Parts: sequence; structure tokens; C-alpha cells
Amino acid sequence: MSAYTQFIIIGLMTVISMTVHASEMQLDVSVLLTDMDASSTDEFKSGKGVTLQYSYYLKEWLAADIGLFISDQTLEESQQDIVGDYRTSIQTNSFLLGIKPRYKFSTPYEVYARLGVLYWQTELEVEEYFNESISGGKTSATDTGTGYYASLGGAHYIGEHVVVQLELRHMMQLDVFEGESDYPFDLRINALSFGLGYRF
Amino acid sequence: MRHILHVFFPIYLIAGCDIESSNNILPVPDEGLVMYAEANLHESQDTAQIAAAVYRDGEPVGLVGGDVFEAQTSTQRVLLKDIGIYDGSYAASLEIDVVQDVFLNVVHAPVEAREDRWYPVDILNIDPGPGELVGKSATVSFPPEVTITGPVSGDVYSNIADIVDLSWIAFGAGDNMRVLSLVSCSDGLTTSSYSTVVDIADDDGLEAMTLDRFIYDVNDNSPAIRFISDVAQALLQELLNKLSAGNIDPDFVTKKVDANPISSNCEIRLFLQRQRNGVFDVSFDDGVVLGSRSAEVTVNYVPATPQN
Repeated sequence: MSAYTQFIIIGLMTVISMTVHASEMQLDVSVLLTDMDASSTDEFKSGKGVTLQYSYYLKEWLAADIGLFISDQTLEESQQDIVGDYRTSIQTNSFLLGIKPRYKFSTPYEVYARLGVLYWQTELEVEEYFNESISGGKTSATDTGTGYYASLGGAHYIGEHVVVQLELRHMMQLDVFEGESDYPFDLRINALSFGLGYRF
Repeated sequence: MRHILHVFFPIYLIAGCDIESSNNILPVPDEGLVMYAEANLHESQDTAQIAAAVYRDGEPVGLVGGDVFEAQTSTQRVLLKDIGIYDGSYAASLEIDVVQDVFLNVVHAPVEAREDRWYPVDILNIDPGPGELVGKSATVSFPPEVTITGPVSGDVYSNIADIVDLSWIAFGAGDNMRVLSLVSCSDGLTTSSYSTVVDIADDDGLEAMTLDRFIYDVNDNSPAIRFISDVAQALLQELLNKLSAGNIDPDFVTKKVDANPISSNCEIRLFLQRQRNGVFDVSFDDGVVLGSRSAEVTVNYVPATPQN
């Protein structure tokens, strides 16, 4: 059984076990504007992504949080060095598991945070071009690993069950390609997300 | 053939100092494979600046796909990964713990050549294999060191007709001498910077040069000045990077003239170079390979009266 599968099962069991003690749940769907940073010299363009998150409230102010983050293929600006022209792109998926504390103001507002660990799967693609007589090409590699995430958001109730949310997110993927390469890196993803939540 | 190029090169520069030229390609023979390389060891420095370029049929040959110049001594090694301002030129600094010959060689190093990239270049690497220049080489020998005895650093000149008496400890061992200058000017509102070269006939310890070899009037259509427009640009930039610990514009030696030098206050850094011919691979049809050592003195130009 892969570590990824184990991670998902542990997460699901955690949430299921909590259902005995609580009754409020929330399902959130958000779109993200992402900013990826793997190095001081990368030149990633802004990208997009989507998250699906499920919160189970253990107490009035605290929920268990589980979710999925999927990014689009985020391109880097083309760069040039002594070898030739090159450009990378990243596509990543993450499984999120953590907690979500909140503070409810007088209706209809609340602020909340998320904090937890993530399990990621990231594909890095490189495209190279040399010159007219020496053709280049594309190559890619995929790695998996762990990291953490944190976010801060605000919610506004627009109905009895529906909220709109604005959230600043920070996700960190640690040691990408560690063990496979002599040049591993950490991938930092900062994002602004806008989403809808349904509370039931 | 090598001697022809050696003579041809400075003559071209004197005759063809088209200062507004957008094409800075070195005048190399129209046919054949030609190498130009120079290693310079500056006074009190323990690193040499290396610059190299290869031309085929008069056009610079870009080393791509992981082919790169390697410079090495018996104890140190570096890849020339800095792309020079001059077309097709590459540069780097090599530690010289003991003055000795430098061996230049084109190698295929697909991972090392990409090491400055941020991603894992050892597993994401499209390697086209070694190119046709791999294995070609040259050897550079350094001449005796340069010791400047005059002028005194900080001397001030006020007219471009003034004479700068440059003096040094002569060796007369048949080496070539030249002066590279870096000129920075300010008229209080705008600035200028450029680099020039002056060839010196003999290593006899004294050269009287008029200041108009370094300071000129932008309105003069035929100034006596000769701007650096060859691989020496890459070499000089590499030296400045080293002397300033990287705190200098990456294109500092590129000519940028907003303030008219003749009516501006200027700092003139003079780099006196002694050059010795090296040898290049027989597979090259022609080339210039030079080992050089340099010393620096800075003088100033303050115009006596403002001129327009």
C-alpha cells in the first residue's frame, strides 16, 4: 500500500471517528490564483487551481479539515543560459489534512484559519531548445512527498447554509526530488482563493 | 596565418572604430575555425579572469547543449559559464594559487553546464551529446607581472591634450603591452561610462599618452579614442566583477554615453596589461590565445572650463 493511500485512509478514519462527537459539517469549493516559488531564480507565472475541502466541527470553534488541491500546469518564463533556452512547468496535486479554528462574529461574518499537513504529488516538466541545428525537446519527472499548509480566511453568510469565502493560503512542499536528485528543492505555493461553502 | 590575424586585429580596430556600430563581432577571417582566448591575472589577485570565443567562417559559434569551455591548472578548474557581452564569448574566474599555465579545453558537461538552473538538472536533462568542438584546446602562459610606477593614483588632468606619462618596470621579453581603460563621467545631471584600449609599442617602461585616448567630445566625428569591442570586454567585465565582489552592473563596460566626457568630471581607471602569446589546438585554422597580467592606476579628468 502506498504512503499516499495510507495517508488518505488515516485522514478518512480520523474524520469518521469524530462524527460521534459532532453534528456540524461544511463543504467548501474554491478557485485559487497561485504564485509558485521553487527558487530565487525561477520565474513562474501566476497559475490557477481548485480546492475541495470538508470540515467537521468538533466544537463550535474547531473543525477537522480534509481536502484536495489541484493546480493547473503552471508555466515558467523562458530563460536562457550557456546551454540554451529552457522553460519549466509544474503541475501538482495535494491531499490536505488539518484543523480549522474559527471565530464567529455577530452574523453574518466569521474568520477562520486552516493548519495542517499535506501529501503532494508533483510533476515537473522541462522544455529545452538549443539552436536551429541541434533540436531540443521535453522531459518530465514526478515525485511525491509531504509538507504543510496554513491559511487565513473570512466568510460571509449569504443564506442559511451558504457562505462565500476569501482566503489567503500558503502551502509548502518539502524536499521535492530529494533522494532522486542532487538538486532537490522546496516548492512554496501562495494563493488567494475565492470560494463557496455549504454548511449542513 | 596566426601572425596575420594578430597584426590584422589591432589594425582593424584602429581603422574601423565605428563607435556606434551595433555589430560587435570581432574581425575574424571569413573562412575557417578560429579561436580567441585570453587569461588575465591582475595585481594582488589570486584569481585569473578567462574569456574565450570560437568562430566558424567569421561567425561566433555558440556552445550549446552542455558543451562549454573548461579552464584548468594542475590544481584548479572552472567552466566558462558567464556569457560575455561580446557575441559568442564566455568568461569565468579561475583561482591561481601558483602562477602557472592555464589549459583551455572544450568539454561536454551536460549537468555542470546547467548547474546554475534551479531545478534538478541531473534527472531533467535533454542531452544532445557532445558537439564537434569538444576536445579542442589551447594553452595560456602568463608573462611577468606588471608594476606601475607612474602616474600617481589620483593625479588630475584638465585638458584632453595633457600627457599621461605611464611608466612601469620594463622586462622587454618580447611581450605585447596595452592599456585598457574604464572611464566613468558625470556632468552633475547625467553620467557616461565606456571602455577603451590603447596599444603600446614596446615593453620599455614608459609610454606618453595624450588624454584624448580616454576622454573625447561626442561632437567630434573622428575622435582619437578606440573603444573596446572584442572579447576583452568580457575579460574586463569579469575582472571588474571580481574587484568589486560582484557589486557592479553586469554590462558596466558597455558604452553608455549621456554626459559629454570632455565637459564632465571623469574617473579613468587604467589597466596596464602585459600579454604573452599562447598556443592553440592544431585543429583550429587560426586564432589568438593570450596570457596577460595587469596592474591598475586611477587618474581623474576635471575640465578647466566647461565646454559645450
